[in-house]
Amino acid sequence: MELPHAQAAVLRAASAEDATPIDELAAETDLPPETVTGAAFELEERGLVVVLSREEESTTLTEEGDEYADRGLPEVRLYEAARGLDADPVPMGEAIGRAGLEGPEVDIALSNYARKGYGKIDSGTVTTDPDAVPDTDSEAMALDAITAGEAAPSDEVLDRLERRGLIERSERTERTVTLSDDGVTALMEGVESRETVGQLTPELLASGEWRDVEFGAYNVEADAERVDGGRLHVLRETGERVKDVLVGMGFEEMDGPHADADFWINDCLFMPQDHPARTHWDRFALEEPSEIDDLPEGLVSRVERAHREGVGPDGDGYHSPWDEGFARALALRGHTTSLTTRYLSGTEIGEIDPPARFFSVEKAYRNDTLDATHLLEFFQIEGWVMADSLSVRDLMGTFEEFYAQFGITDIEFKPHYNPYTEPSFELFGTHPTTGELIEIGNSGLFREEMLEPLGVECDVMAWGLALERLAMLTTGAEDIRDLHGTLADLDFLRNAEVSY
Amino acid sequence: MPTVEISPDALRELTGHEAGDDELIDDLFALGLEFEGRTEDDEFELEFAPDRLDRLSVEGVARSLRYQYGDARGVYVPKTNSPEWTIEVDGEVPDDRPYVTGAVVRGVDLDDAALDSIIQLQEKLHATMGRGRAKGAIGIHDLTMLKGSDALSASAEATDGKPTVRYTGVSPDGDRFVPLDSDSELTPGEVLTEHPTGETYADLVGGDRYPAIYDDLGLFSFPPVINGRRTEVSTDSRDLFVELTGTDQWTIDKMCVIVCYALSARGGTLEEVTVEYAEDAGGEHAGRDLVRPDLSTDEKRLAHDRIESVLGIDLGPEEVIDLGERAGLDVSREGHEIEEPEELAYEVTIPPYRVDVLHPRDLIDDIGRAYGFNDLEPRYPDVSTVGGRHERSRLEAAVRTRLVGLGFEDMLTFHLTSEEATFEAMSISPDGEGFGAGAPPRIKETYSEEYTIVRTWLLPSLLSVLENNTHRAYPQDLSEVGFTARIDDAETTNVAESRHVAGLVARNDAAYEDAKARLQTVVRAFGADLETPPAEHPSFIDGRAAAVVVDGEEVGVVGEVHPEVIVAHDLEVPVAAFEFELSALE
Repeated sequence: MELPHAQAAVLRAASAEDATPIDELAAETDLPPETVTGAAFELEERGLVVVLSREEESTTLTEEGDEYADRGLPEVRLYEAARGLDADPVPMGEAIGRAGLEGPEVDIALSNYARKGYGKIDSGTVTTDPDAVPDTDSEAMALDAITAGEAAPSDEVLDRLERRGLIERSERTERTVTLSDDGVTALMEGVESRETVGQLTPELLASGEWRDVEFGAYNVEADAERVDGGRLHVLRETGERVKDVLVGMGFEEMDGPHADADFWINDCLFMPQDHPARTHWDRFALEEPSEIDDLPEGLVSRVERAHREGVGPDGDGYHSPWDEGFARALALRGHTTSLTTRYLSGTEIGEIDPPARFFSVEKAYRNDTLDATHLLEFFQIEGWVMADSLSVRDLMGTFEEFYAQFGITDIEFKPHYNPYTEPSFELFGTHPTTGELIEIGNSGLFREEMLEPLGVECDVMAWGLALERLAMLTTGAEDIRDLHGTLADLDFLRNAEVSY
Repeated sequence: MPTVEISPDALRELTGHEAGDDELIDDLFALGLEFEGRTEDDEFELEFAPDRLDRLSVEGVARSLRYQYGDARGVYVPKTNSPEWTIEVDGEVPDDRPYVTGAVVRGVDLDDAALDSIIQLQEKLHATMGRGRAKGAIGIHDLTMLKGSDALSASAEATDGKPTVRYTGVSPDGDRFVPLDSDSELTPGEVLTEHPTGETYADLVGGDRYPAIYDDLGLFSFPPVINGRRTEVSTDSRDLFVELTGTDQWTIDKMCVIVCYALSARGGTLEEVTVEYAEDAGGEHAGRDLVRPDLSTDEKRLAHDRIESVLGIDLGPEEVIDLGERAGLDVSREGHEIEEPEELAYEVTIPPYRVDVLHPRDLIDDIGRAYGFNDLEPRYPDVSTVGGRHERSRLEAAVRTRLVGLGFEDMLTFHLTSEEATFEAMSISPDGEGFGAGAPPRIKETYSEEYTIVRTWLLPSLLSVLENNTHRAYPQDLSEVGFTARIDDAETTNVAESRHVAGLVARNDAAYEDAKARLQTVVRAFGADLETPPAEHPSFIDGRAAAVVVDGEEVGVVGEVHPEVIVAHDLEVPVAAFEFELSALE
């Protein structure tokens, strides 16, 4: 009979009289145990051997268990120390000191002391029960037995020791192989091993020799070398996903300057020039260059009029100064709504007629200190819808649809205030793991004071949120600096779960 | 977001509603006040949006809740008694703070909590409408400590024997007074250098005259900096004198109204004050008398169909009127005989404490809040549009895909960096020749020396990532398609913004060949032609650096990174790299 090498070796090593464990066969054949096991089962299928499996439980001491086996259980040591002192009750500190208990051992001793009936712990003192017999402590005895490799104590005691983290129990399958009658016959008739090859080569393929060879079995379960390879940045992945969703919802992407005039960033948004956000130090004003060269003249005066006088017959303006020089100042945009104002004004891609939907997922800047939840630069998701008539309900419906794509349902709308939208809403969603209600965006219908100067004669609703916030929600990242920036940890990026 | 501290017990007392804390938190959320936590005194810390500044005190929040609960309806304007006191404004007032307003409030019931609430309201108004006291500052005084008589007045007959205080100017080293929280008499100039509050607000005054308010006994208020101790308000104070100064009359009048409503809710009776601007006074009211507080209401016309289109629901006129009244507005139907719904409109009266109603749209928001926005049924807008990505964004994504396929780990680094990292650590100079040189846009006021400019090229960022990850497994093959900028007069913003493509290979055997091989795969994948003529670049080893020339145009650099640059980044591994303009692949 011709058998593959491993099977032939196992067959020869097995005995008809004794059940030989796999380990012994492995040692004898010089094959890995898993190869021997595989071969044994294949031989069993041919009817040449009988494989018997037996579940075997083994118990080993943990490091802590080992120490207690050596030094005694903390509660036993406490009892003995307290007994050894000439008082009852004994001050707890004294007993602990004498028992030599340290660190977590103290709590362990105290929590087991009363349970085992060694006495009582009460307001800083220890009493001892004279009838207690620590020598027969079942847990201590079990530890000793395990150390000595003696018969296992009762399951109940083992369960307790396992709960205390003193032992580890594991189950393994012990297999033995015995030759069957057919196996004995086969051996007597003679068994040859078939040759095996390690690596499939071009030569084997070209010559056709591959038909006659046996391929040696690999340990296919063994760990393989780590390959990181290339991958898209995890935050970029989330960004691409957002773009996919928005394009799917009919939104078209905007593009425009990062360094822009305050006019486009704030004035066109009907933000008064003395609004705290505009004078606040978190604005990334540019020192050099400091001003934009050109602003559309007619638009500048319409915007100024809206700020000063409001729009419409019953409109009021702000009681704030307005200065074109201030509007010309350059800054890194604090929000990407500057793209929206540019697009709405018609200066970017010409006049936009309703209906229209536009978006961007681009960087905005905030001059702040960098920490685990704040970046100086972050991606803002910005989206707006233009139509002849839009209501708060349309806005809510759009956001429900958008956030549902990211598994965020049950959005709550908190009425809010923005200078450029009315009604305005902060959007809240439930964190998928903590269940906490967290802010996930800001939205509203643009005001007449913003739209009229820009020449828009229909309704526009808009919203924005930070991509990083969405990504922290969907990836579970806790430090935003891992997600974005030069301080990135390559291991975090390599191991981050793919989002799609 | 700013926060305001509100005692839930005081809210319950002022509204007369025994709502539990959780219920109260929900009711406040519906008003737009988000519960942030509790203070040590077990007060609610609420985040407020800076529109409803009338809700910066427990009195104002209670008023809004009473409307929400339906216990109050329509516009409420407290009664005022005729003026007894006069504030004279003379020509000595500093030009940059010409306006003053005020009120007298009698019979106020001030316990510790009420006093704290009024002080908080003052502070929050200073921080918001008052723009850090620059635009408007409030001073509240114990009226009984003031002595006003005609003797003070320059024109006795004009004041009809009524008590008068005078808003004027004082020299920095002029009259001394004892400011709050102090025991010594100081000149205004000394207050600015010796008193902590004075130091805080010193920037708000200047020149040779500071704002000052006098009564018969002398200087008692140094706005916008500090009040005198003589007129300090305590829980024993019953009659109060409120004065506000600022750069805009409307702003201080509105702040005054909000304070008056709060004091009125504490049992106070409002009494008017005459503000007499002298002929030579500054500002737009010179020569005129104003009677304050200005509790006049405003009217706006609101079209019915606009309410329906913004809220997306159908409403009957009675519902609109009801919702308006529950929002604290008076709403009356314009022309009852109108049949056509599209012509239906309302005349809406707005209470004087509202500073946020600039347009009828704001009234629709009020009506929506009274209706309950969360009761609206969301609907997906029945509007069809075609979506798509910007060409530049598609190109970026395609290049990234190609780079990742070549085994690069895609990076997303900061656009902001320092000159040190961008130039010095790369051995180049901003006004030099090599790729990456150029004047970077510079940030005005920076927090950190690490973020002072916008980057001109990407390789410094990628090298920084290497520097931060020397404990991580190699190879580290990193790439980025990212934003760069430099100063350029040819652009209207004076900033040329462009995207670059950069890649580097960091491993024990990294060499020029590794960078060039990957570079040429990317460039050729986009159907472009690549040449790499030798070039010198200080960031790279001489003889192992080349210009990246795509379709005949020089757009980048490729080479083995110079050991000096490698060592400057604390690396012990060779690096080969390339970077070029994304637009070359268009």
